[in-house]
Amino acid sequence: MAKILGIDLGTTNSAVAAVSGGEPAILENAEGARTTPSIVAVSRSGERLAGLLAKRQAITNPQDTISSVKRLIGRKFSDEEVQRDKKTLPYELRGGSDGGVEIKMGDRWYKPEEISAMVLAKLKADAEAKLGEKVEEAVITVPAYFNDSQRQATKNAGEIAGFKVRRILNEPTAAALAYGMNREKNEQIVVYDFGGGTFDISVLEVGDDTVEVKATGGDTHLGGDDFDKRVTEYVVAEYKKQEGIDISRDPLALQRLKEAVERAKHELSTALETEVNLPYISSDAAGPKHLLIKITRAKLESLAQDYIDESIKLTKETVKSAGFKLEDIDEILLVGGQTRMPAIQDAVKKLFNKEPHRGINPDEVVAVGAAVQAGIFQGDVKDVLLLDVTPLSLGIETLGGIFTKLIEKNTTIPTAKAQVFSTAADSQTSVEVHILQGEREMASDNKTLARFILDGIPPSPRGMPQVEVTFDIDANGILNVKAVDKATNKSQSVHIEATTSLSKEEVEKLKSEAAQYAAEDKEKKELVEARNKAENLVYTAEKAIRDAGDKVSAEIKENVGTKIEAVKAALKGNDKENTEKSVNELAEELQKIGSSLYNKGNEQ
Amino acid sequence: MEQEKQEKSEDEKLLERVDEAKILKEDLEKLTKEKDEYLDGWRRTKADFINYKKEELKRLEEVAKFGSEEVIKDLISVLDSFELAISTLEKSDAKLEKGIYMIKIQLEDVLRRRGLRKIKVNKNDKFDPNFHEAVGSVEGDGHSGAIAEEIETGYMLYDKVLRPTRVRLFK
Repeated sequence: MAKILGIDLGTTNSAVAAVSGGEPAILENAEGARTTPSIVAVSRSGERLAGLLAKRQAITNPQDTISSVKRLIGRKFSDEEVQRDKKTLPYELRGGSDGGVEIKMGDRWYKPEEISAMVLAKLKADAEAKLGEKVEEAVITVPAYFNDSQRQATKNAGEIAGFKVRRILNEPTAAALAYGMNREKNEQIVVYDFGGGTFDISVLEVGDDTVEVKATGGDTHLGGDDFDKRVTEYVVAEYKKQEGIDISRDPLALQRLKEAVERAKHELSTALETEVNLPYISSDAAGPKHLLIKITRAKLESLAQDYIDESIKLTKETVKSAGFKLEDIDEILLVGGQTRMPAIQDAVKKLFNKEPHRGINPDEVVAVGAAVQAGIFQGDVKDVLLLDVTPLSLGIETLGGIFTKLIEKNTTIPTAKAQVFSTAADSQTSVEVHILQGEREMASDNKTLARFILDGIPPSPRGMPQVEVTFDIDANGILNVKAVDKATNKSQSVHIEATTSLSKEEVEKLKSEAAQYAAEDKEKKELVEARNKAENLVYTAEKAIRDAGDKVSAEIKENVGTKIEAVKAALKGNDKENTEKSVNELAEELQKIGSSLYNKGNEQ
Repeated sequence: MEQEKQEKSEDEKLLERVDEAKILKEDLEKLTKEKDEYLDGWRRTKADFINYKKEELKRLEEVAKFGSEEVIKDLISVLDSFELAISTLEKSDAKLEKGIYMIKIQLEDVLRRRGLRKIKVNKNDKFDPNFHEAVGSVEGDGHSGAIAEEIETGYMLYDKVLRPTRVRLFK
């Protein structure tokens, strides 16, 4: 089935996502970025550009580079908003014959939906390249306050770009879908969306698979870019105080500063202070000048405080106009990059006295939600084949009472896993396979499912026989355990029916027990492992002395003997450090046998 | 009479057999359809998995290739400052230690081994937004819209533009 795209067509940036393998994921554009500037241009050489490439030539070609067209789409030229934006937009506008807006780009006049269609066409082409297949349908998001004309124009833009537009979806609704909130019953949700250039607040009511927008508010000219501007102005002023130089008049210096400020702002979301460090930013008669200004999180917050206060004020008003009290709100979703700022998160939390949701990347959550809606149309969400998982790990007991897991918990079934084990003593002719279920490190703390004995193993030194143990769980959760001696092909097996019959509570209890005893269990296991290693080395050392015979001097043999006794003495206690120390000493001593044999070999 | 009755039951038996056959045929059709569905589902899952493995491998290669992208981006601004320092010093009377140049080359070598390349720009080159970013324009004797001067070096990591070359264009 062909994919349907979810598109967040933003004022400054757009993002695209699609559901693959049941999960919505952002699709990177041709330039390798996860968002694309919503900018279109006709370059001076007459080429049409969209996205990042259009942005790169905006400064030298301002009158033919069209940005923020979302502010114009579906509006009348006479609209107050259009007349206000007209003053700040660098390109030419006029009223069309139908009363709509027309934009001059190159030597032609375009409708806003034609410009938006060029952005959408770029997104479509990049998504197709990324997915490796043609895409014909899309879900496109718009602000909740968009009227019919704005929605229709956005839909037309999609169709001009070659999409069949399956739905025009509200941005806050998309955010709620991304967080899976459409499944909730009777909830009031506030979506606080602080983007680069706009601030939108929406109150939603979810019930019986419908999402209703109860109220919208915000400020279409307040955004993260304003924060950047404030900080840049602050640094420019500070620098002027320090050095007496106004760097805002040097375009290149200003460009470097803007980038550094944006980086600093991002850093202050996690760090408490950072530095804007720009060596050789300018120069005067005395020589080169450097800029080094420290910005603390507190400084950033004080610079932006009135913006944050304003957003909180608008939020209160919008909740009120929806007919709710603040305490009626069940969930708050944070959308837009600026909501990464801890001060904003705190302010929102304080207002509602609730922790807001912010698990999904706030720049991408709207596109992800649109893809979720697209996935519902696509039918990807419908999964006829439900696969179970093993709730707890399965394995066998090994030397020293350790629980060795063969199948980890949460493995999707059906599945099979095999591992080769061996004997612990010389001439051991049978092994016991003790099958267990649980999360604890030691076998005795887990639940025994079955035991069986595989015998008839030909007598041989320890570690030599190869017994392959296979765990196979079928789709119904029935576990089949089989042990095969690879030398004789003799095998033994057992069926265990009830591996998934544990109740949810039992599983949770076992898991929490495992977490509770994790440290203690780890210690026990490490001690056993140290002991196993010690016993193994003693065995090897004793065998080495026997095998070496006269080829090694009595002195070396005696020294090794002493160390062996030391290990054996340590094994009587339960001290891990002591055991490990004696093992290391023995290992060192043991090397002398090897080197002595080697030297003898060389002398001959 | 007797015989007729028997014949009738023969007919009935035959009819029953026909009904039975019909049911069996329906069952068979249903089962065949089901089998086809399951087989298809299995094939799809298997194909999905194989494709996933391929994609994962590709993604891992990308991660290995571009995993250091963020660090390299940060190091580019260090390199910028280095270049500014050297060109400022060269213009002044101060004598520049050869070692300073060597340190810069060292840094450039480290980055080159990780796949970083400079984007080369010449005066009068055609402006290409795939590799260049226009930050201003100047009066001059060149073609209008062509590159007049390089303001800041651009860099590519393998075939991806990390930062376009910042240029001024002829008016």
